[in-house]
Formats: sequence, C-alpha cells, structure tokens
Amino acid sequence: MTAVSSASDLVTTAAPPVPRPDINRKRLARMGWGFSAPALIVIAAVTIFPIVYSVVMSLNTVTVTGNGFSLDGFTFSNYNLLVHSSLWRSALFFTVYYTVVTVIVELVLGTCIALVLERLVAGRGWMMALLLIPWSMITVINAELWAYIYNGTYGVADSILNAFGLGHPVILGTPTPAIIGLMIADIWKTTPFVAIIVLAGLVMLPGDVYEAAEMDGASGWYTFWHVTLPLLRPTIALAVMFRVLQAFGLFDLPYVMTNGGPGTATQSLSILAFHALFQNLAFGPGAAVATSTALLVLLGCLATLRVFRAQVGQEGN
Amino acid sequence: MRNRKRVGWHRYVNGVVLATIVTALFVILPLYWLIASSFKAPLDVGTTQLFPNPISGANYSQAFKGYDFGIYFRNSLIVTIVATALVLILGTMAGYALGRLPMRGKFTTLVILLMISVFPEVAVIAPLFLLMKEIGWLNSYQALILPYTAFNLPFAIWILRNYMLGIPKEMEETGRIDGAGPLRTVWSIVLPQALPGLFTAGIFCFTACWTEFLMALTFNDANNFRTIPVGISDFGGNFQVPYGTIFAASVVAVVPIGILVFIFRKFVISGLTSGAVKG
Repeated sequence: MTAVSSASDLVTTAAPPVPRPDINRKRLARMGWGFSAPALIVIAAVTIFPIVYSVVMSLNTVTVTGNGFSLDGFTFSNYNLLVHSSLWRSALFFTVYYTVVTVIVELVLGTCIALVLERLVAGRGWMMALLLIPWSMITVINAELWAYIYNGTYGVADSILNAFGLGHPVILGTPTPAIIGLMIADIWKTTPFVAIIVLAGLVMLPGDVYEAAEMDGASGWYTFWHVTLPLLRPTIALAVMFRVLQAFGLFDLPYVMTNGGPGTATQSLSILAFHALFQNLAFGPGAAVATSTALLVLLGCLATLRVFRAQVGQEGN
Repeated sequence: MRNRKRVGWHRYVNGVVLATIVTALFVILPLYWLIASSFKAPLDVGTTQLFPNPISGANYSQAFKGYDFGIYFRNSLIVTIVATALVLILGTMAGYALGRLPMRGKFTTLVILLMISVFPEVAVIAPLFLLMKEIGWLNSYQALILPYTAFNLPFAIWILRNYMLGIPKEMEETGRIDGAGPLRTVWSIVLPQALPGLFTAGIFCFTACWTEFLMALTFNDANNFRTIPVGISDFGGNFQVPYGTIFAASVVAVVPIGILVFIFRKFVISGLTSGAVKG
C-alpha cells in the first residue's frame, strides 16, 4: 500500500506543473480573499473582537452607569479579587473535578461500547442511530428530564434507591449527591458521542496487526492493552479534547438542574461568570472569570495534546 | 480473525448481544421516561406510573395554549434556519477559497479558525451583550443569528475545505475552458462535488443552533423572542415545575432534530469522526 502510494506521489511530482501566468495567480488570490471576506468578517466581529474586549474589560475598573458603562483605567484588581475569592476557587475546583471525572468515565464507558459495537454483526447501523439521539438532545431538556428523575417525591430514582434500602436521599439538595446526579446526566448524554468517535477509530485499525498478535498467542486482554489501545491513541486524544473543552464550559446542565446549588456546590466557572455579569452587573470581575476560564481551556487543550502527543488538527496539504 | 464465527444459538445469545442490549437500554430508558411522562394525565405525572394510563394529550395542549411554546418553536425555527443558511453560503465561499485558491496565509487563517472554535461562549457574552444593548439588538432575531453564524462557521469552513481539496483540478479547468465565470464554476461544478460536506456542515450547524442556551438566555429574554431551550427552562414558577408540560414541549422540540439526524446520520457520523480520520 505504501509502496503504491509513494510511487504515485513520484509520478505526480515528476510531471511538470502546468505553468500559470503570475497575473492569473494574483487575480485568483484576490478572488480568494474576496470569497472568504464575508465569513472572516462575521467571525472576527462576533468572536475575536469580543474576546479582546473581554480581556480589556477584565483589566479595567468597569463602572456601570445609567445607560451604559465606562472603563475607568487599567487595574489588576479584578484578577486579584478572583484569586482571593473563595467563590472562584470553589467554582474552579468543581469545574476541574467535574471535567476530570466525567471525561474519564465517559472515555472508559465509551470505549467499552465501541468495542462491543465493533463486534456486533447485525444492527450496528441502528445502534449508531440510537446513539445519536442523546447527542442531538437539547441539554436543557436533558436537565429537566434528570431533575424529574431525581425528584424527591415522585422521582423514579428515589423509588429505585428506596427499593434497594437506601432511604430517601435528597438528591439535588445535598452537595455530593447533586454533583453525582449532574455527572450521571452528563454521562448519559455524552458517552454515546465518545463511543462513536472511538468506534470510527477502531474500524480503521489495520487487521493484519491483530492476526500477528493472534499468531504470537497473545491473549485478548493483552492484545487490547498492547495493540489496540496504543493504536487508538490519536482517536482517544481527539475525543478527550472535545470533551474537556465542552465540560470546562459547563453551564446549561447545572443552571437548569440546581442553579449552582445547593449553596455553591455545583457552581461552575461559567455560571459564576454569568451570575457576576448579569445578576450583580460586576462586569470587571465577571470578565475576569470569563477570560481566565478561556485561558484555562486553552491550557487544558495544550496539556491534553502533551499527554497524548498526537497531532490533532494537523493535516498534510 | 477477531470476529469469530459463532454457530447455533450462540449466534443470537452471546456476550456481544447482551452488552449491546444493555447499552441500548441505557440510552432508551430515560428517553422512554420522557415520552411516557409527556402522555400521562397531568395528575399522573407526579407519580411513578410506569405506563401512561390513561393516555392523555392534555400536556401537549397545555404547552401550546397555557404556555407560549408555539412562539418559542417559531423563534427557534427562524433563528436556526437563517443561521444555517448563512453558514452554508459563507462557509462554501470561504471553504472554496481556502481549499483551492492560491492565497498566501491561508494556513494561518485556518489555524486561527480552529483556535476560535475552541473558545468557550462565556468569554464573549459580556462584550456582545453590551454591544447589542448599545445598538438596540437585544431581543431580536439578528441577536442570535449573527453569533450562531459566527460560532458555527469555523467548523463548516474546515469541513467544506476538506471536501473541496478532494475535487480534481481538471473538473474545474474544464468549466473555465467552457467559459464559466468563477461563481458559475463554484455553483455548477464544485458545489455538487462538495454536497456531502454541505450536509455534514448543515446538520451540525442546525443541531448547535437548535440546542444553544447561554446566548439565547442572555440576549433574547423577552417572551416574544425566546427560543425553545430558554422557553422550556422557564416553564412554571420557582416552586412547582410543570413537568408534564415541559416533557410534551420537549418531545415536540426533539422530534424535528431527531428526524433530521436520522436522515443525515451518515453525515453526522462523518462529521463527528472527521478529526479522527485525519488525526
């Protein structure tokens, strides 16, 4: 396979490139920027400009006036406030904890599901279609559904726990059960997504490696651990990255299910920023929370790439 | 070799099939609970009745008559369809240019696009909110259409660019020799080839707009401009949550997207795994 493709590469490089007049090239380049301009302008207006402005706001004393706001000079106090705020620290801790636990559980479960589906002879298409339903679900609906399931008086989770002799825990009203409850809702919605990505990676693995492993008398478990998993590393890195990004921006689920409570037990960084910005109108500190969250997401991405040492998004041209 | 041939009853009852059934139940049971509860009589919603008995449509009429779910549905439809159309038009143009035209700095542009798609929404809502307040855009369709377009464009551009890269150069040249202008070439030669990419980008954008919550909540809080997620999150008061109505509305909200995803499932999966394939 490699021999064939490299041979064809040789052929194409050996063929003389069609000479194009330089003027034509310039004209095409201009046309290219003309074609991309509308998209790039929209993107810049709605993402790059606000991101920069968020950073500016977070570094300023922002005063909200009658019909607007004003920036009153450079200051580092917003970040200073953040670092010394127990609210921010607990939100940071909750968000990181939530991200780590859900991503690990979803990865393990998703890989198991993918391994099962790969061996499934009939009905794989139907299973894939089924797995897409939670993915396409509105998160707010997912939140309402699980809040109903966890309800203390008529929730089905309550009946199940009681049937197992665990009494009637107030699920969304007690910190630890509330966090676990949120995680379960998240795991239900996103594990299928991880499973689909891992399955796609599994299907593409070369079959001859497995034959070699079998000839060597490797056990199933050994093969999985030493052959499948290393080959799957880029796929898993991609899934982890998507999930870390999503989980770190966590907002919809706790906003609807617990509104950050009980107390501040499920207050994520996004919820903290939202409350600071739109309930307390503290635009300086709110922007500081938002900016630092974005920064942490970037760092999280880089860390993930480091751990997996995979080149996600890097393509040959 | 890995998938051993099974014979006799082992073909139907084995670990793989059992694990598949467990997985299916894991996905289906909460969904069943959502649908079943929506068809219960309003008083039965507050019980753990396993099957709706009697089957009732009261929650559905309550969602549309007692609450303004019809308005929310219309708003979601308008915002989602316009944003998706814009993403496809602008994304095709940019994807074509970045994929096929000799522009300097296009790789840098693509990398910046990738980085933008990584940013959490919360980093942009405060400045956007203040800006929209300034120009009087809060509670309007464009307040959501524009951000949704911008946030979904990077992925669409990447997907479409990848499809455009795969189109043989000769096809385009044939068109040019026949005297077709650049727009004409894109329309009648490149676009048909990039159709799978358009499906993938379209279904992703549609799903993202249909489910988006944070910006819709921040920019369009007036009842007349709420989308489905904001509307549903605000049903009822603080003390009593009308779950029956919420679930009836939810079923209505989930059905269109479910049908679309089912029809275009091939393209959804190819979009989800496009990174895995390339990585």
